[in-house]
Amino acid sequence: MKAIEIFKELGIEYEEMKVKGNSTPRYRAKVEPDKLEEIIKKFKTQGFKHFVALSCVDWIKEGNMELIYHLFSYDTLEDVFLSIYLPRDEPKYKTLRHLFPQIETYEREVHEMFGVEFEGNDRLGEFILEDWNDMPPMRKDFDTVKYVKEKYESVPLVEGRGDKQ
Amino acid sequence: MTDNPNPLPSIIPEKDWKKIQRMLSKRSLWMIHFCTGCGAMEMPPTMTSRYDMERFGIIPMATPRQADLLLVTGYVAVKTLKRIVRVYEQMQDPKYVISFGSCPINGGLYWDSYNTIKRLDKYIPVDLYIAGCMPRPEAIMDAFLKLMKDIDEGRADGWLRYRKYYDKYRANQMRVFKRWDE
Ligand code: SF4
Repeated sequence: MKAIEIFKELGIEYEEMKVKGNSTPRYRAKVEPDKLEEIIKKFKTQGFKHFVALSCVDWIKEGNMELIYHLFSYDTLEDVFLSIYLPRDEPKYKTLRHLFPQIETYEREVHEMFGVEFEGNDRLGEFILEDWNDMPPMRKDFDTVKYVKEKYESVPLVEGRGDKQ
Repeated sequence: MTDNPNPLPSIIPEKDWKKIQRMLSKRSLWMIHFCTGCGAMEMPPTMTSRYDMERFGIIPMATPRQADLLLVTGYVAVKTLKRIVRVYEQMQDPKYVISFGSCPINGGLYWDSYNTIKRLDKYIPVDLYIAGCMPRPEAIMDAFLKLMKDIDEGRADGWLRYRKYYDKYRANQMRVFKRWDE
């Protein structure tokens, strides 16, 4: 089934995004967080069997965190992006790992990098970062330059030949 | 000189003995390359027939315990540093470190990254830096020759510094690690 037909059937507004060099457009839709699970299920049964990625965008001015679920269909070769918005100060959503197992790994990453909670995912521990001691580093209010100065530049040189600058 | 009919090796003065040791060890460098970052890409041509570093007596080794040259080939994340220190401490003295590319010199491309340590020699002693992003095999060969010269002249003394300033190196390492148990 074509993505447009599924969108029409579900009554969701969507947006076509033209990609330079691609003949087929990509589809983007903003959906309600509580409806997302049903929508993904519907897409999954209609040929969108490939879960490509889950990504996150921090919209600091709007005060939102956007989660983007990216699906692909091998039948129609179409890409669909479904996005939900969560409040930035307490981003919380439920896990969808029962739909596609790889979502678990993406949720762990988004949790570590953006601090989004996924209820029901019990593996949201330390993941890629090790020994991390600050706020999630991909949030826009995280000041990397300041962090670098405090954490790495303040480490003194050890005597010996190395201290000739 | 003396009438000793069976001269023992100890007859060679300590200073000369060290010299001989260095002369021999510079000619048999067993290298372990810690392939972090992008620079590891330049190792295969350096090792294989095109540039053939084996003609200088340098051969890759699979384990740190039998190697005496550690190559760090690019940016070092905090997580990687912990493994590098592990590897370095497993190597037997005398051991040498070459660090590779701009990233371990001053951060390079990742100067403002939250997760890479910027200067490797704050955490382990480095005998030689190769600048470049990334250095070509010619530069690597050049560095190997320079290192051999340094070893011969006794200037590649990173392992001695690591012993001498061990507490300071460990203190610096623990400033970026939260714990040392994994
Ligand atoms: S110096 Fe350049 S090539 Fe080497 S690790 Fe850094 S960015 Fe990569």
